[in-house]
Formats: sequence, C-alpha cells, structure tokens
Amino acid sequence: MTESNLPAVRTEGVWKIFQQEAEEVQAVRDVSVTIERGEFTALAGPSGSGKTTLLNLIGGLTRPTRGRVWVAGQEVSEMSNQALAQLRLEQVGFIFQAYNLLPVLTAMENAEFPMLLQGLAAEERATRVRELFARTGMAGLEDRRPGKLSGGQQQRVAVVRAVASRPALVLADEPTANLDSASSEALLDVMAELNRDLGVTFIFATHDARVMGRARRLVQMVDGRIDSDETRA
Amino acid sequence: MHLRLLLLLAMRNLSRQARRTMLTAAVMVLGGALLIFSFALGDGSHENWIDSGIRTSSGHVTVEQPDFRVSRKLADRLTAAQRVQAEQALAMPDIAPLVVAVSSRLRIGGLASSAAGARPTQILAVDPAAEARFSTLDDQVVEGRYLEPDDRLAAFVGVGLASSLELRIGSRLVVQAQDSENEIAAQLIRVVGIFRNGVPEVDQTVVHIPLQIAGEWLGSGQDVTNVGVVLQGSDAVGPVTRHLETALAEPITRGEVRVMGWREANPALAAAIAIDDFGNYLVFGILFLIIAFGIVNTVLMSVLHRHREFGVLQALGLTPGQSGAIVLVEGLTLTAVSGFVGVSLGLAATWYFLGDGLDMSALVGEDMTFSGVVMDPVIVPLFRAVRIAQVVTFIVAIGAIASIYPALRAARIDIAEAMKFER
Repeated sequence: MTESNLPAVRTEGVWKIFQQEAEEVQAVRDVSVTIERGEFTALAGPSGSGKTTLLNLIGGLTRPTRGRVWVAGQEVSEMSNQALAQLRLEQVGFIFQAYNLLPVLTAMENAEFPMLLQGLAAEERATRVRELFARTGMAGLEDRRPGKLSGGQQQRVAVVRAVASRPALVLADEPTANLDSASSEALLDVMAELNRDLGVTFIFATHDARVMGRARRLVQMVDGRIDSDETRA
Repeated sequence: MHLRLLLLLAMRNLSRQARRTMLTAAVMVLGGALLIFSFALGDGSHENWIDSGIRTSSGHVTVEQPDFRVSRKLADRLTAAQRVQAEQALAMPDIAPLVVAVSSRLRIGGLASSAAGARPTQILAVDPAAEARFSTLDDQVVEGRYLEPDDRLAAFVGVGLASSLELRIGSRLVVQAQDSENEIAAQLIRVVGIFRNGVPEVDQTVVHIPLQIAGEWLGSGQDVTNVGVVLQGSDAVGPVTRHLETALAEPITRGEVRVMGWREANPALAAAIAIDDFGNYLVFGILFLIIAFGIVNTVLMSVLHRHREFGVLQALGLTPGQSGAIVLVEGLTLTAVSGFVGVSLGLAATWYFLGDGLDMSALVGEDMTFSGVVMDPVIVPLFRAVRIAQVVTFIVAIGAIASIYPALRAARIDIAEAMKFER
C-alpha cells in the first residue's frame, strides 16, 4: 500500500477517559473508524457526545487512554511530543471555532505560519497564500491584522492557514459556530471547493445542520460512541 | 525555528501590552543606570582611597627586603646597588609611562624629643624632590615649608607631634634610633615645616628628614628600606610588578629583594575596599532580585493571558521547546533593550561627573578618614570597560533566569485543555 493509498485517518478501539475529581468521564468509548483521503466527513452529535475529543485524538492534541490512532499511515498513539508536533506541522491542518489567529501577525503572516515552520521558501509561501486568498475572497486583505477582520474573514484566513501547507487532512472543530448564516454558507462553499478541486480531506466536529447537510459522510456520535455512520452519494 | 520569526513574535507581543512592558522596562532601565553609575562612583572612590593610602605608605608597588615589613629593622634594608637596579628598571621606556613617581626611602622607628618631652616616632628619610612627587604631605603644610634638596639638618613634622613636643618653625628636635651597628644613635635636627594630614597616627608620629643625613647618622650610606612607586592607576600594578620581578630576578632568587603590590603591602586598605565592594554587590544583588521578580511577573502574566494562543501555536506544529523559546526571547528582548538603555543612561551620568566629580562634602565633611586613609569628599567616577561587561552580563542573566519559569509554563501546557480555556 503506497502512502497515497493509505487512509487519512484510522482509529482502532480508541478510548479517552478523563479523571475529574472523584468522577471518571468516558469521553470516547471504543471508537473504530476509517476516513479515506478526500472525504468530506462530519462528526455530529450533541454537546458531550465526544466529537471534539475524537477530533483532538486524531489531531494528536491529546493521547488515547486505550486503542490506537493512525494519521496518514503513522501511528500517533505512542509518539513523543516532539514527533506529534512534527506530525501536526506536516500532516494536519486545524480550523477552530474561535478562529485562533495570532493577533500580532497580519492575515498573510497568519496564513503563512505553518509553512514558515516547515521551512518553505518565501516565494513559495507567498504564491500559495495569494492563490488561496483569491479563491476565498480574501485578496486585498493580506496586510490586515485579525482585529481588523470580520469573523467570517478571520475564519477564511484560518482555512487558508490550514490548507496552504497541504496537510493530509484538515480538522475543523465547530468552524461555523461563531458565524452568521451567510458567512457560514460562504465558508462551507470555500471548504467544499477546496475539497473538490484540491482533494483536501476535511473532518468536521459539528452540531450545525448546515455542515451536516453538506457532508458526504455523516458519523453520528452519542455518549462517546459511534451511533451511526452514513455515506451519502 | 527562525530567529527572525522568534524576534518578530517577541517584539510584537511585547508591544501588545505596551503599558505593562514600559513599566517593567522602566524599572530595568533605572536599575541598569544605577548599577553603572554606582560602580563608576564606587571604583572612583576606591581609586581615591588607594591613591591617598599608597601615597602615605609605600606606593602602588614597593621593593623591599623580604623581612623588613615584619621586622622594621634597619638591618633588613636594600643595598644601594639594589636600589639603583630598581630605579633603573622603573625608568625603562616600556614601563616609564605607567610611573608617576619613584621615591627611595629609609623608614625607621625611633624616638623624638624636645625640651617638652619625648614621643615615639616614625622617621622617614627621603629625597625631598622625589618625595614631593610621591607623597601628598608636601601639599598639607600648615606652617613653614616642605624639605628642599639642599636641606641637611631639616625636619618636617606632623601637627600632632609638633603639638606634643611644643615645636614651632625653627625648633630643635633630637631623633634617636638604632643604627647599622645596632647602637643607639642620636641626631639633632631643626623643624622647617609642620603638616596636617588628617590621619591621627600620621600627624602624631611621622617625621621627614633628608635621606643623606639619615645615611650619615645611621651609618647606612645610600641604602634604603624601600623603593616606592606611584603609578598612573591601580590597574598598572600587575604589569609593573611583573616587570620589576623580571628585572630583579637575581636578588629575588637569592632572597634579598621582594616586590609587592599595594594589596599585599596594605592589607587593611585592601580588606576595606573588598568589604565595600562586597556590600555594593550585596545591595545591588538584592535590588536586581526584586527587579527579576518584576520581570517574572510581567512575562508570566503575558504567558497566562495567552494560554489559548500557546495551545494554538503547538497545535499548528510548534514543539514545546519552541513555545518556551518564544517566551525566553520575549524576556531576553525586554531585558536586553531596557538594559541597553539603562547602561547608556548610566554612562551618560558617569560622563557628566567625570570632570568635576561628585562633591559629597556636605555629607561626609572635609576631614573624613577611613581605615587610616584620608577620604577626598569629591568623588570622580572611574570608567572601566570591564564594569560594562559585568553589568550587561548580569542584566542578560537576570532576563534569562526570570524567563525560565514562564517559558516552562508555556512549554508544558495541555493543548486540548488550552483550546477549552475560554470556551
């Protein structure tokens, strides 16, 4: 199996248990799922269903209590912190509910940031970002700091930041939660276009019906377990 | 991670909380300026003490017979040949520019008596011309004059001794001491001048007489008990000492000659300066400890307020070490820039007082002595490049140490928890 044939994500019997004072919280319970490259998948469910925790496990932001996780063919369950950081840098892009742009950097600098860490040449970085800014309607706003951008604009910068470094997959945690409906639709259009044209793999954690409606695969989670897994045409 | 990126993030993050940054920087600027100026004043004050102390004793460097300092006997003296050898070594072109004055002297303990009584005395037989350049006593005349090259039976006495023996200008004085044959010998001399030094034991015991008369009186000829050297500054002691030890290697090897720097010859003065230095280091150490806590607070607050941001940075691919490096660079940038400004201000203050000095007479009075040394109330700061290096190193070290704990906090965050922080 070549690297390009390997699934973007695979989990096998993954558990995540948190200890909160005297209580044990099983946020993710025995989840096994495979997500192929190029998928546009939503992890859906109410608050506390474990979708964000599963996303964090996939992204290497937290370690599983039991089970195994592979990202782009690499098992991340036992990786060192250094190796996880490298994995996130090279293979994973993140889009957060709160945008999480660096306030002291411009839109351009924010979008370039992962590529800067990767050591890409300045010209290559600028070319990729400008192309994606043009695609996402952000052309002309490169030099603005996040404080001078609307929520929708900030989230688009976050999308470009996540995608520009060409990761194996993009993890988006409630990306539309802080946006109005028009901005949400526009953002979803952008991400769908990137998925279609560039083959970027998207995995969403969401309880937004709009996002669920756009996903070609819908994984429903309840109480930490996968309740249903539906692939649509 | 690129240093340029680290510096960019550091500078921009510092300017985000401008007021907090400026307050912390102001404290560091003040501390740096105070440290530089205080060291310059302290070094100038110490140099003042040293100059005053060595001119009333045996110079920045002294050449003596090894046993003389303890025995104080005439038998333990330098021969005329050894004296000439030392004087010639000090006149050599590569060392002469460092030398201000050379005075070959014969120092003995004895008794001074007049019609009014007798007192123990320190008799210093000198070449008047050479001694006038070496000592400051010739500038401290209160009556009469200092010795002149043509003088024979002349005496220059301290005001305390003059008072005890009821001496005036022209008064006769008999000095007695053990001569080269170990016999008690006496010499009649006449007072030509009276001085006031300010140090009681100098004013009450010291008598200067011409070296030639002492040689005749004591049977010591042209021999001396020490060759004293005043240098351009105490920094020259090392090179001059080494030069003399090379030039006098043979008599040194035979155990006939010893070369000493002022620290060895004046241990009490050296100890006083060392204690004063230690006190300054202690005070400033405490001051900068307080400043360091201020820096820790500033940098730590910055990290805690950016808890989620550090989580994002690590989510994007920064390693824990790189996250910590951002904080370290912020702390070091803050201290380096403010330290640079502080050092510059301190140097400016030092430069301002370089000419006329800082007049402390309102605080210490005109005649203050300390450890047997007269203190000049006007302190001229002394600029030393090594002090700048010390202060800069100290400031950078403070910045680094103060940033370590905040850097560790940034490196050790739980990324998933940080993402939830402001949910």
